[in-house]
Amino acid sequence: MDKRSVAGDMGGKEDAKMLESPIEQYIESLRKHVEEQDPVFLISVVVALAAIIITCVFLKYFLTSKTVRSAVLLVGLCDSGKTLLFSRLVSGKFKRTQTSITDSSAPYKAKSDKGATWTLIDLPGHDSLRAQYLEKFKSAARAIVFVVDSAIFQKEVRDVAEFLYVLLTDSVICRNTPTLLVACNKQDITMAKSAKLIQQQLEKELNTLRVTRSAALSSQDGSVGGSVFLGKKGKDFEFSQLPMRVEFLECTALGNKAEEGEADIKSLEKSLAKL
Amino acid sequence: MLDFFTIFSKGGIVLWCFQGAGVKESFTGPVNALIRSVILQERSGSNSFTHERQSLKYKLDNEFELIFVVGFQNILTLTYVDKFIDDVQLRFRDRYKNELEQKGALKLLNNSFEFGDDFQRILREAEDNSKTRSPTYMRGFQESEKSKKTVKSMIETKGGDKGKEQGGKKNKTPAPEPAKVEKTSPSAKTVQNGNQGLTQEEIIQKKREEFIRKHTAAPAEKHSKSPKPQKPREKTKRVWGNAGTNTKDLDYSAKNGSSPGNEDKDLDAQNDLVRPPFTSTDAVAYLPSKKGGGFGGMFGMLKGLVGSKSLSQEDMEPVLEKMKEHLIAKNVAADIASQLCDSVAKKLEGKVMGTFTTVASTVKQALQDSLVQILQPKRRVDILRDVMEAQSQRRPFVITFCGVNGVGKSTNLAKISYWLIENGFTVLIAACDTFRAGAVEQLRTHQRRLNALHPPEKHGGQPVVQLYEKGYGKDAAGIAMEAIAYARNQAFDVVLVDTAGRMQDNAPLMTALAKLIAVNMPDLVLFVGEALVGNEAVDQLVKFNQALADHSMSDKPRLIDGIVLTKFDTIDDKVGAAISMTYITGQPIVFVGTGQTYNDLRSLNARAVVSALMKA
Repeated sequence: MDKRSVAGDMGGKEDAKMLESPIEQYIESLRKHVEEQDPVFLISVVVALAAIIITCVFLKYFLTSKTVRSAVLLVGLCDSGKTLLFSRLVSGKFKRTQTSITDSSAPYKAKSDKGATWTLIDLPGHDSLRAQYLEKFKSAARAIVFVVDSAIFQKEVRDVAEFLYVLLTDSVICRNTPTLLVACNKQDITMAKSAKLIQQQLEKELNTLRVTRSAALSSQDGSVGGSVFLGKKGKDFEFSQLPMRVEFLECTALGNKAEEGEADIKSLEKSLAKL
Repeated sequence: MLDFFTIFSKGGIVLWCFQGAGVKESFTGPVNALIRSVILQERSGSNSFTHERQSLKYKLDNEFELIFVVGFQNILTLTYVDKFIDDVQLRFRDRYKNELEQKGALKLLNNSFEFGDDFQRILREAEDNSKTRSPTYMRGFQESEKSKKTVKSMIETKGGDKGKEQGGKKNKTPAPEPAKVEKTSPSAKTVQNGNQGLTQEEIIQKKREEFIRKHTAAPAEKHSKSPKPQKPREKTKRVWGNAGTNTKDLDYSAKNGSSPGNEDKDLDAQNDLVRPPFTSTDAVAYLPSKKGGGFGGMFGMLKGLVGSKSLSQEDMEPVLEKMKEHLIAKNVAADIASQLCDSVAKKLEGKVMGTFTTVASTVKQALQDSLVQILQPKRRVDILRDVMEAQSQRRPFVITFCGVNGVGKSTNLAKISYWLIENGFTVLIAACDTFRAGAVEQLRTHQRRLNALHPPEKHGGQPVVQLYEKGYGKDAAGIAMEAIAYARNQAFDVVLVDTAGRMQDNAPLMTALAKLIAVNMPDLVLFVGEALVGNEAVDQLVKFNQALADHSMSDKPRLIDGIVLTKFDTIDDKVGAAISMTYITGQPIVFVGTGQTYNDLRSLNARAVVSALMKA
């Protein structure tokens, strides 16, 4: 009887052993296999694996560092003076310009102690091209310079406000919050409005716009564009309510003496230096 | 002769410009108009454009992203302009290749391109060449052949030569022609054989000499002609130049590969003579393709995939054909599809492709970009904001709906008024459809329903929707005018004018519509078109716009301002009608109707439509 019980116990133990054994057997066989191998081979395999992991980590680090936003975008309505401003900022020269149909980019060295270099990108302002170029470059934007034609601002106020609204409610821009510099260009013309006036008008207009745009129809596939509500509900819209830094400044790309003269873009350069 | 010539980059910086003597106006305006109406609207198939009194011709250089524009007065017909632009482009590229190859605008800004002397030289050459064909003076009687002939030789005899009475039948000269043809065919043969041995420059030189020779030789020949040889009277069998002599040549059953090849070569050689001399880009593209054939198919394919290769017309041809067929299958109108493909070809010609991109993918991407560009509105589209603006000016905002029969004008009018009411505006519907039976009752039913949904008690006692109708058979323009006056008195925010459907060919009805619009000057003229329409859309829109332009008294006629695309739920992905309509008018699609209930009103999403269109 003892023997039988012992045998039973042994059987039980054997059963348990057998359950564990597939796993244990596997581990055992692996261990034997590994020990059989040449140690040099083992070391080389381990080194290769480590190298791969390290390169993966490095790549990730470099890729993310590439998306550090280092572009300054020049946007605005058609004929607001973006391309001339671009030329003045990059080279200081006056060039005749036509309506742009593609973007132009050039490196720009800020006039400050740090002297960081940005890429200045001039986007076309025409209505049909605006959207696709903004799509392409908005994720790389560190700052956006919104150029406004101060002389005919009164007539265009609704178009300017609509473009600004689209910019401010864009999801990528809301997430990255680049600095917004509104450059009131063409100050050399006598009828030009001041930056303060333009700021007030835009605030009023955007106040109305955020109501009408949120009541706009949804698109045919059901998606509703930018559902971000500007500013605070219940209070009138002000630029200070935005999450990003907004600055209004005056400049004239043409300069007081047209082709020969210097452009008065000092305030713009100062602001760019502060970035 | 030229008013101006500019060279500027696609980014907008003018690299070099020339202004003709005595021309005071700046050319910035016309060139901007050219860019906006042609290049940005994808109509760059033909390379000329008329702006007021100037005619502009342009050329795109896609490799270095430049645009060359020349402008001259409309009344002049300058024949050398096309070739002149090509020459200038080649010269500019060759000279400034290093600066232009740099990516980025820095070099363009820092360099000043001194192109004046070269330009003047090429202009002088072009003008001289065009003058080589000197005007032929009419010959005096002494020089003509008639004075040389004797009277006897001119008397007609039976079976003799074809003489003429001295009385004065004009002396036609079919004789010089056979001599000329004879002369060109031996020279053609020599050119065929000689071409392969020479470089491009020499070929151009040779062809120029031939050209001049042909035209200076011809008048001289005429003088040295002796009196016409006697022609035999019987009919000779006419022999065509290309014809074979026996029908065995037409039997292609045996030789499958060789004959088509031979004929291609013949045609190519003949085309060489007719076309102006090879431009260097053509030649460069030609030679590698010939070499590729020699190296074997696999290597050639790899070569095409890696490395920078510039696109030529032949490369893009098959892909564009396929894309055109695809667009037509998706219900885009046929001429519009072909115009679009031509425009994309012009935009891509000469462009250098990046590594690992195929021709097909580049062309598809370009086509997709241009389709999105066409569908993007060219002006701000925000009806609510405009209504608010009109409200602040204490006048009603007037929207007129026009279109052919049965597209859904009244239904979509009701949907739009529902949307406006939801946003707190009061609407007056003007029933200017005085023809169709039941039109007024239909609108009255809609009015009742909308008022039931938004009862007057909630909106300060005044009903939100009212109908202004005068029954059937009256003049629509008069009813519209009265309705607008009534709305102004009663302080309604919006007036929606419903008109009768009419076919675009029906002249009296089109006149009546034009009169309604011209007299009442609505703020928005919306053309209602259904998404099911195919090639008809082009015809409808063109004729509607034409009628509106013709019958308006003012300089700036009110044309169609926007499009309402209805019955969008009936097409699943054959959305081509949207492209046809926006391409023809250049106006945005303001509303999209997707059903028959009040909620089925949407706005257009350009990207979604284009992706549905490009989907296989």
